[in-house]
This record gives sequence, C-alpha cells and structure tokens, in this order.
Amino acid sequence: MTEQGETGEAITILLVEDDAPTCWRLQDALAKAGYEVRSASTLAEARQALSAGAPRVLLTDLRLPDGHGVELIREMRQRFPDTEIMVISALGDEESVISAITVGATGYLLKDAFPTDIATTVRDLVAGHSPISASIARFIVRRTQGAAQTSAEPPPGPALNTAKLTPREIDILWGIAKGFSYAEIASHLGLSKQTVPGHIKNIYRKLEVHTRSEAVFEAVQQGLIKL
Amino acid sequence: MSEIAAKAPTRPRRRLIASRLVPYLLLQALIVIVTILGIRLLQPSDPDDYAVSDFSAREDGLTRPVTLPHFTSSRYSLADPPFYTGTFTFRSGDAASGWSVYLPRFSNAVEVAVNGVVVLDSRRDANANRSDRNTPQIAVIPASLLREGANEITVRLFVWGPLKGFLDTVYVGPDAALRPAYETRTLLFVTLPVVFSAWQAILAVILAIMWLMRRHESVYGVLATAMVLGVVQAFAPPPVPPATVSHLAAVLLASAPIESALIVAFGALFFGWRWPRYGTLLFVPGLAVFVIGLIGGPPLPRILFLMLGIPTVGLCLFLMACITAIAVVRRQDAASFMIGCAVTIVLTCWMQDMLTVLEIVNNDRIFVSRLSYSAMLVAIGAGLTWRFARALNQVDSFAGQLVTRVREAEERLKASFAREEERARAAALANERTRLMRDLHDGLGGQLVSIVALSERGSAGATITDAARAALKDLRLVIDSMDDIGGDLMLALGSWRERATAQLRPHDITLDWRVATPQGLPLHPELRPWHVIQIVRILDEAVTNAVKHAQARRIAVTIDTFDAGQGPYGVISVTDDGSGFALAGNGEAAGAGQTARGLRNMKSRAARCGAVLDLASDASGTRVRLKLPQRFPDSDMAVG
Repeated sequence: MTEQGETGEAITILLVEDDAPTCWRLQDALAKAGYEVRSASTLAEARQALSAGAPRVLLTDLRLPDGHGVELIREMRQRFPDTEIMVISALGDEESVISAITVGATGYLLKDAFPTDIATTVRDLVAGHSPISASIARFIVRRTQGAAQTSAEPPPGPALNTAKLTPREIDILWGIAKGFSYAEIASHLGLSKQTVPGHIKNIYRKLEVHTRSEAVFEAVQQGLIKL
Repeated sequence: MSEIAAKAPTRPRRRLIASRLVPYLLLQALIVIVTILGIRLLQPSDPDDYAVSDFSAREDGLTRPVTLPHFTSSRYSLADPPFYTGTFTFRSGDAASGWSVYLPRFSNAVEVAVNGVVVLDSRRDANANRSDRNTPQIAVIPASLLREGANEITVRLFVWGPLKGFLDTVYVGPDAALRPAYETRTLLFVTLPVVFSAWQAILAVILAIMWLMRRHESVYGVLATAMVLGVVQAFAPPPVPPATVSHLAAVLLASAPIESALIVAFGALFFGWRWPRYGTLLFVPGLAVFVIGLIGGPPLPRILFLMLGIPTVGLCLFLMACITAIAVVRRQDAASFMIGCAVTIVLTCWMQDMLTVLEIVNNDRIFVSRLSYSAMLVAIGAGLTWRFARALNQVDSFAGQLVTRVREAEERLKASFAREEERARAAALANERTRLMRDLHDGLGGQLVSIVALSERGSAGATITDAARAALKDLRLVIDSMDDIGGDLMLALGSWRERATAQLRPHDITLDWRVATPQGLPLHPELRPWHVIQIVRILDEAVTNAVKHAQARRIAVTIDTFDAGQGPYGVISVTDDGSGFALAGNGEAAGAGQTARGLRNMKSRAARCGAVLDLASDASGTRVRLKLPQRFPDSDMAVG
C-alpha cells in the first residue's frame, strides 16, 4: 500500500532527526504506511535534500547538531509554502512546540508515538486536518487570558501573539484544552463538525509570526504607514 | 543606706547651684554699679553761666528766699500755687540772638512770666504734663519785654500731688546758649521714649499676630498685652487738673502695675513654669487703682498709685529678678541671662527713682524707670522674634530631616520587602523541588530502575518498552502538572484524555468521555500542581488496572458536578466492563498483590488531596468513583 497525494504520486516526507534509533523508528513506521521518506540528521543534510525538490511533509527535530530546527522551518515556509511542517518532540512541551508554531509548523509528533498513530497523524496532516494537542491549546488560551489582563510583566514561556484570534477560535481552543472531541465542541458551539479542522488551521496561521515584508504590507493596509 | 543614697546627690546639687548663682549675682552687682554710674555720667549738663537760682518763694501766704532746685510741699489744689520771684540781668550787647528762658525740670507744671508778661505755660504741652518723663521747657522772651539791666522773672509752680512740687534751676540767657541743652534733654526724655513706644507698638502687633496664630503660646499674648498697655500709656494725652474727673487718668495710672504684673507672668511662662493661681493676686493692685480711678475723685487714685502701684512695680521687678535668677541657674542659656541682666537694670533704675522721690538722693528729679522699662520690653520683644525665627529654622531643618528619615525608612522597607520576597521565592522553589523530587521518585525513578533491571536480565523487548513508555508518560505528566491551569482541573483532564486515548489505542480499548456539564468541573483557585498530579495518577491507575488485570474492552470516564447546598463539587468516575476483582471485607482486593497495592495507593493519593475514593467491583466490571473536595487542602492531609 502506498499513500498517494491528489496527483497520484507517492507522498514525500523529509525526516530530520539526529538520533539514529529514533530516526529509524519513525522512518520504519512511515515507510510501512507507504510514504516515501528521505531522512537527514543535520541541517546541512536537510538543505541538501531540499535542493532535489520540495517534500510534501517536513518532520523535524528542533535540537540539531548544526543548528536549530526553527531555522529550517522558517526557510521551508518561505521557499515552499505548500509543504506541511510538523515538529518531532520527545515530550510535546509548549516551550519547543510553540516556538515552532510561530514560524509555521503545524502541531507536533511524539517521538515514542505508536507506529499507527504516527501514520495517522501524517495522513490527517496531508488531508488538511491540523491536529492540535490539549496541552498546546491550553497554553494558547491561557495566553489569551494573560493578554486580557494586561500585566506589566511578560508571561513566561515563548513569545506568542494571540491578538488575531477570534472569540470563536478561542472557544474551540478551550474545548480542545478541556479534552472535548471535535464533535462535542461543534455541538456546544452550534457548528458543523466538518468546520472545526478549518478553524484550527486558521488558528495555526494566525499564530505564525509574519515575515518583515508581510508586516509592512499589513501596516500599509491598515494605514499605519504612508508610502 | 538608702538615706545616704538619697542625700548624696543633694550636696553636689547645692554646690552646682552655688557655682552658678554666685557668678550670676556678682555680675548683677556689677551691672547695678555700672547702671548707677551710667545714670550719673549721662546726666545732661546745663549751661551754668545763665543759671538763675536765687528766688523768693511765696507759698501758703509765706514769703521766703530760696535757692533752686527747690521742693515744695505736696498739694492737691491748683488754687494759689507756689510763686517764685527772681531777677536776672539783661545786657543788650549780648542780644545778637534772642533771649530765652529754659526750665530743665519741674513738676508738675509751670507758668513763667517775664516782667509780668506770661511767656510760657507748660500745661498746654502734653508731654510736659507727664511727671515720669522729665520734659524740659524753653520759651523765647520777646525782645520788647526785656529791659537793660535787671528784669523780673516769676514762676508759678502748679503741683498736683501726691508728689512734692519741684523746680530745678531756671536758666535765662541767649537762646543759642540755652537751646543745645534743651535739645539734648528733649532727645533723651521726649523723643527717645516716643521712639521706644513706636517700636513697642510694632512689636505688640507682631506678637499679637503670633499669639493669634498660635493660641497655645500664651507667652506671646501676655507680652503683646503688656506692650499695648505701655503704648496706650505713652500716647494717650494725660489729663491736666482742671479737667478733674478723667477716666483716662485711671487707665494711665493703672497701666504701670498691670504692665509689671504682666511682665512677671511673661517671665514665668517664658521659662516654662505653670502660672500659679495665686499669681493673679499680682494684678489686684493695678486693677484696684483702675477701678478706684474710675469711681473716685482726682486725688485718691494718685495717692493709691503711690501707695499701691509703685510698690507693686517694685515687687514685680523683684519677682522677675528671682525668676530669671532661678532660670539662669537651671538653664544656663543666653536668653535667661540676657533677660536677667535687663531686669537688674530696670530694678536699679526703679530703686534710683524711689530714692529720688524720697529725696534721699538728689538727682534733679530725673526719673529713669519708664525709659529703661521700655528699652527692656523692646529688647525682650526683639529676642522673642529672634527665637521665633530660630524655631522656624528648626522646623525647616526638622522637615528636611523628616524627609530624609522617611526616605531612609522607605529604603529600608523596600530592602526588607525585597529580602522577604526573595525568601518567599526561595521557600517556594524549595517546596517545588521537594514536590518534584517526590513525584519523579514515585513514577519516573522507579520506572527507570525497572528498565535497568529488565535490561540486565536480558528480558524481552516488550516489557522494557512498556516500562520505558510508562516512564515517558510519567515525565509528561509531571511536566504537564507544573503548568498553570488557573484552577481549572478540566484543562489537566483534557491532556490526560489525550494520553490515555493514545495508551489505549494499541489495546483496542475505547475511551468513552462524558462531561455532564458543558463547563466541566467547578473552578478551584486553590488547586496546586501536586493536587493535579495525584488526581491524574489515580485515573492512570484505574485505567491501567482495567487494561492489565480486568481485560476490559471499554472504559468510560464520566465527569459530573453536584451541589449539596455547600458549594459545588466534582465527581470523576472511571467505569470498565472488565472481569472485576473480588473485594475483601476491608475493601481491599483479595486477588493479586499488585492490584491490592495499586488500590491502596489510589486511596492514599485521594486522601492526600481531600478527595474520597469509592470502589465497586464485580464480574460485570469495576467502577472507581472519585469525589473531589469542595476545597482542596493547602498541604498534604496524609503524609505517605
């Protein structure tokens, strides 16, 4: 069985992980599910692999021998905006995951996840379903509360701008943080169950820190800068 | 022994008093001598070349030759006054300037006529009517009156008792020769008192304002009153006896004893004494003179003044001298010293005047008490103003000091607050470290040890995998529980649901999740990470039991909120459809030892955070019911 994209070609995944056993484990799980996996153990190798063409999915560890995964994610978002990006994390702690989300990653994959879960997560990601974990949702909604209180001290943890989130999106995040399923959230909020993943995707995009050129464009749009 | 101890300090004290009092008294004696000498030396000199002292006086119908200065008897009637007749020689060669008649001192009033024509009547000069002011008189003799050679001069001396009448030597001569002596006396005995009185008036206003603004400082009020009285006495026109009944006379006469009593009051207050009640008696003579002056006829108040008022003045001055002497001994400061010296001078002048009045000392009847008293008041007033300004300076510097002190105290407070905060933070950190250690020890530590043991035994991969997975799960739990969830347990349960679902998926067990209310469990602001970790571990244990020992296919987690009237509380139930386990009578599992230990663990964890664990198990499944408290305890309820 081979996982195929809309064009019928095999879905390519670039896996960047410096710990060999972990790398084998993930590669095995994904290959068994039918994905075409290329692996790299350093940033340099990853960049080299990218020269051959853009993968459909990038799975990257953050701590790499020659740099930080965040750099790779940022480059990827600029060069290949269509590539889905996920972080590989040992603990799924917000410190690493949020910093990856702000440069364009969509969620994370636990290094010890069961092989079936690994494959399912990547499949959902490719299908346009952006998974978000309860702990990350919790971190984001706690941060929206902190922003409302306008405390003088910046909150602990990585920087995160939640100003663009709509009340509806924040409600969805609350639901996820409290462990409700998409169906339960949809029924509580009077939504269709199918629209929830779209909202989550929007949340990811809104949390992404824009590049400088995007910031200038937005400022011009809002009339803050006159050219 | 105690007597000796009590007496011992008195002797040094006495010695101390003596050592302070004796030099002071010696100094006062010196001041007395200097004052007397000063009065003698500063006696204004008169042009003796033009003195006319041989007169024939007609008094009470009797005519006899007299030599001036001359005293007449005291009288209370203006009718038939003593009449002095004398002669002087006029030489027209000297008449380059006009000739004048000059009377340096008389009491109480004179009417001077040359060759039968009146040239001077002192009763029309208000100043001259004050017997305490030594006012001189001068009058130009019209040239037409003067004859070459002998001329006649007559003086009528009006006396209104009780003092004897007095007429000093009369001078007749060229105006240019007489006038400087007259001017000197005017300056000393007329202008100077007016200047002092004006000064006194200004000080009275200042002191009165001070007293009005600071009512508790009655010392200013007392002195201001004394000064106002002095000013009134100095500027009010004295009544001249044909205008017999004058109420003003009473005021003027009463002023001196009242003023002196006020000065004593001032002294007492100034040196910080309490004004004794009987001290009011000092005012009685003055008030008596005043009242009798209002009611009685003209001679009576004057007699009373002489009998009562003047001794009162003396008594007051003496009291004041005593007060200042005591103050000098006690305080040894400049203010008491200065006032003491001033009082001595005034007292000396008063005694000098007494001697003059009693004709013990012939002093041309020049009275100096009033002048010296005015000078003393002005000095005291200036001193008080100086003291007030100094007090203001002290207030300023005190305010400055206060600001500095407050700032220092603030700094100290800030520092101690920072220290306290630091200590609290350190304590919190230490507590957290203890908790983390315990949590890691409970879970991760044991699991890692078991991994080591399993690897050493060369155990099969699956067991090691399970142990390692459990260790990772526990690590995530510990990290997760440290997050600030703002008292909402649902946020912790949300993460747990994810982990539990992932754990159950390989076993093909479904996790049913049912939250009875949309908002989930009630909020617990007192919820701490270690509460969360205990609750999550209980749920983990329940799920693990269901998977490992009961072979359940379905696990349901139900989250409910109840309210029995004492505030809402949550209940979390974990139900499985497994084979269950037999419960012994004591509520513990009779089966496998591991399950029994697991159940005991769950109970003790529940007890630690004030929750109640309820177990029901039979062949159709097991139900773990965890009833959360309404309020989570601050510290471990059961240590274990």
